[in-house]
Amino acid sequence: MSPQAVLTQLRNSKLLSGRSAVIGVPYVWLLVFFLLPFLIVLKISVSEMETVHFKDLLTYKDGLLQLTLKFSNYEFIAEDPLYFKVYLASLKYAAATTLFCLLIGYPFSYFMARAKPSIQPALLMMVMLPFWTSFLLRVYAWKGLLGENGWVANLLEWLHVDHLLLALGVIPALGKFMNSPFSLVLGMTYTYLPFMILPLYANLAKMDLRLLEAAADLGATPWTAFWKVTVPLSKAGIIAGSMLVFIPCVGEFVIPELLGGPETLMIGRVLWDEFFSNNDWPMASSVAVVMILLIIVPLAIFNKYQAEAQEARS
Amino acid sequence: MNGKKPPIFGDAFNRRFGKAWLAAGFAFLYLPIIALVIYSFNDSPLPTTWGGFTLKWYGKLMHDTEMISGFWLSLKVAFFTACASVVLGMFAAFTLVKYKRFTGRTMFSGMVNAPLVMPEVIVGLSLLLMLVSVQRWLGFPERGAMTIWMGHLLLGLAYATVVIQARLQDLNPQIEEAAMDLGAKPHQVFFLVTMPMIGQALASAWLLTFTLSLDDVVLSAFLSGPGSTTMPLVIFSRARLGLNPSVNAVATVIIVVVCIAVVTASYLIARAERQRAREMAAAQRAS
Amino acid sequence: MKVFSSRTLKRCAVGVCAALSFAAHAQEENVLNVYNWSDYIAEDTLKNFEKETGIKVRYDNFDNNEIVHAKLVAGKTGYDIVVPSSYWAKIQADGGLLMKLDKSKIPNLKNLDPDFQAALAKLDPGNQFMVNWLWGYTTVGINVDKVKAALGNMPMPENAWDLVFKPEYVSKLKSCGVSFLDSATEVVPAALHYLGKPAYSKNVSDYAQVPALLKSVRPSVTLFSSSGYINDLANGSICVSLGWSGDINIARQRAIDGKTGQNIQALLPKTGGVVFMDVMVIPADAPHPNNAHKFINYILRPEVHASLTNKVFYANPNKESKKFVKPEVASNPTVFVSEAEMKKMAMPDSINNDIRRQMTRIYTSFKTGL
Repeated sequence: MSPQAVLTQLRNSKLLSGRSAVIGVPYVWLLVFFLLPFLIVLKISVSEMETVHFKDLLTYKDGLLQLTLKFSNYEFIAEDPLYFKVYLASLKYAAATTLFCLLIGYPFSYFMARAKPSIQPALLMMVMLPFWTSFLLRVYAWKGLLGENGWVANLLEWLHVDHLLLALGVIPALGKFMNSPFSLVLGMTYTYLPFMILPLYANLAKMDLRLLEAAADLGATPWTAFWKVTVPLSKAGIIAGSMLVFIPCVGEFVIPELLGGPETLMIGRVLWDEFFSNNDWPMASSVAVVMILLIIVPLAIFNKYQAEAQEARS
Repeated sequence: MNGKKPPIFGDAFNRRFGKAWLAAGFAFLYLPIIALVIYSFNDSPLPTTWGGFTLKWYGKLMHDTEMISGFWLSLKVAFFTACASVVLGMFAAFTLVKYKRFTGRTMFSGMVNAPLVMPEVIVGLSLLLMLVSVQRWLGFPERGAMTIWMGHLLLGLAYATVVIQARLQDLNPQIEEAAMDLGAKPHQVFFLVTMPMIGQALASAWLLTFTLSLDDVVLSAFLSGPGSTTMPLVIFSRARLGLNPSVNAVATVIIVVVCIAVVTASYLIARAERQRAREMAAAQRAS
Repeated sequence: MKVFSSRTLKRCAVGVCAALSFAAHAQEENVLNVYNWSDYIAEDTLKNFEKETGIKVRYDNFDNNEIVHAKLVAGKTGYDIVVPSSYWAKIQADGGLLMKLDKSKIPNLKNLDPDFQAALAKLDPGNQFMVNWLWGYTTVGINVDKVKAALGNMPMPENAWDLVFKPEYVSKLKSCGVSFLDSATEVVPAALHYLGKPAYSKNVSDYAQVPALLKSVRPSVTLFSSSGYINDLANGSICVSLGWSGDINIARQRAIDGKTGQNIQALLPKTGGVVFMDVMVIPADAPHPNNAHKFINYILRPEVHASLTNKVFYANPNKESKKFVKPEVASNPTVFVSEAEMKKMAMPDSINNDIRRQMTRIYTSFKTGL
């Protein structure tokens, strides 16, 4: 193709100027602020640690440039069951949190999106407002509510919910709710609930209601219409909300420290211990790299197939 | 649309059950908030024992320059984080939804989500190491509000992208194509057609990232420098010896101010809408 | 990317030092950036320093050693004075992250207790990098009435450590709440000390008995906390705590101020506590080292050092300051420990990475049962 033809084609392509800026700006930002730091983590994970510094990966010895990479950390992760166990536990708590957020959040966003349009912005603000107070304060407030003679603790005991929770093994004893898997999941559900509600709301608010009318006209009961039309249409919102809840929950560090029990060890704390208690940055970085790859690679592949499938369809 | 209400679960059920669910949800969200507001009036220095009513913590708060300057810094950082996150997030979401083929697309989609996956401790530490080495080479950026903002924006971008992408995906591309066929320029299509359709998503993303930034501790702790202590950092550092109710007082002030703003705004919106309805009715009668 | 090559770092450090010594001859900005624990200073300390020297102090607080350490490792913190615990300062000094003190600029060093300086020299040979801010020790704090009630007809043990490390006692105290510090480097040395071993033993085999000891008391521990336990002690929701001496005295004071009716007391175990020190250090790349030296010298004045102790109930190493300490603080035997008691205390010492890993693992399995 001649340069002239390329130019013409470029000029003809509809979103040229916009397109390169739209892709370029976030791309460059991510390269600098994500990829570069991530490469540092990757590098540390294969380095040898001295007191506080790392040995050079490249050394020049006897006229030869030598590259020393230390993969023993990755082997250690595979061998030591602690990391695997803790990772599984983190996945479990994150999954439970996501489930509860979805159960509470879906109907909540649904009704919010069906409220009078004039009060919707106010409702949206009201969902976020509690989170403008300090995180620590909310945690301490929950401690008070769940502690001995706290309002919530009394309510749960009065409803005999504690028997159920004890049978499930998520609280240590009748009437003791704090510092248990129960309080951990409750705290994470509370903290992450807006991250479920907002994407769902954004998705549900603009749903094409004519489809529901059409379903009703075709004789669908409200229940069928809900399951067959509304839920599938909001799939993107459900996926987005679940992602925003599940993924950060896996690596959550602060909430388990403050609301979790002694047995609710999560991967965030293990990383912290490796970094600081053990002063072993390479090990901590290795754990982090494995963790990231375990989630990001499947996600990127999924995204790729989705994009290809969509393109094939259109 | 012909003004018919969506036929879900029947109108009455829909309204009653919906209201109940919203009320229950808000009760869950506001329960701890009510508790912390009450304890801001507690006369005892111990947060969990009630020692009578007092306003002294509000008085103390007024002289607490560390807390107040921390609050303004947090507000500033959160505002700029939210604005930048929404713009960048919109770009990124657009890229992922509209451009199915360009070099490095898989990597791009991976990188967008990655800050969500990285535990905050790692994000903070690796960003710190990166920024320090850049500072060694170039002499900037100095640690402070700017670097905290960069960290928050990295996280905010990821959240905003997911929210906006979820909405963009479900957009009917035919509408945009129709506009384009009618001769609209791409930027006109974007501002006049696409933007209004994703308005809720943009607002949601803005609020989420604003909140994320306002409440963040771990990233700020790694990226702050001398004299740039955000409010959550002030509160966390004080927590070692136990918080006193003046922190509750700050939270109460924020809640009250925002509540007043929200109520006033919704009142004004409602009034404007009534006004418009009246005018429309009058216009119809006149014709 | 050579972000972390030690050579680059060293070169940088040398360069920075050279630049700074040059700058020092010229004129240093009238600013000092201090990074310290929260609530660890008297109200007038900074104000008086600013008034006297005209140096503007930017004072920031942190809540854990770990993040401070990470910032120092990364470098260019912008701070001139940092106050980490000696355990961390040791790692930082070994790694070349700290600046050697110019003792000629700190004449008030003469006020420091020589015994104390000798103890600190175990971590910092020749006292080249660290100056003690305040010190305290890990010990047992109790709610006197509740512990007596819970023990019933059992007498108080002779050695206060038994309250947290002997199952006979601690199992009875479970009903009124038992808290442990949430940190491997506090709990494991205390356990070793209780077992009669060196608290920071470098001998791996010494650690063999620790897991069994900790496991035997694990069922009775109701709370792991390094920060919230002060208020929990003060309001009576826990009755015995493995904690820091000054914190327990603060809890005592809060219980009195808040009129909760709880009688909190720090105990001095018969075999002594485990000492920790928080030390002032100057980062190697501090922008205002001259001002930092002035600040250290100012803190070491007897009356200034005494005012810190008066405020936070931790002892200072300043032998001239005693006469300025408030009588009720000076007479508290758990703040300024007598010389005889002092001899029994376990002093801080350095440990290597292998021991550290072992400590963490012991602690993790203690806490989680994994």
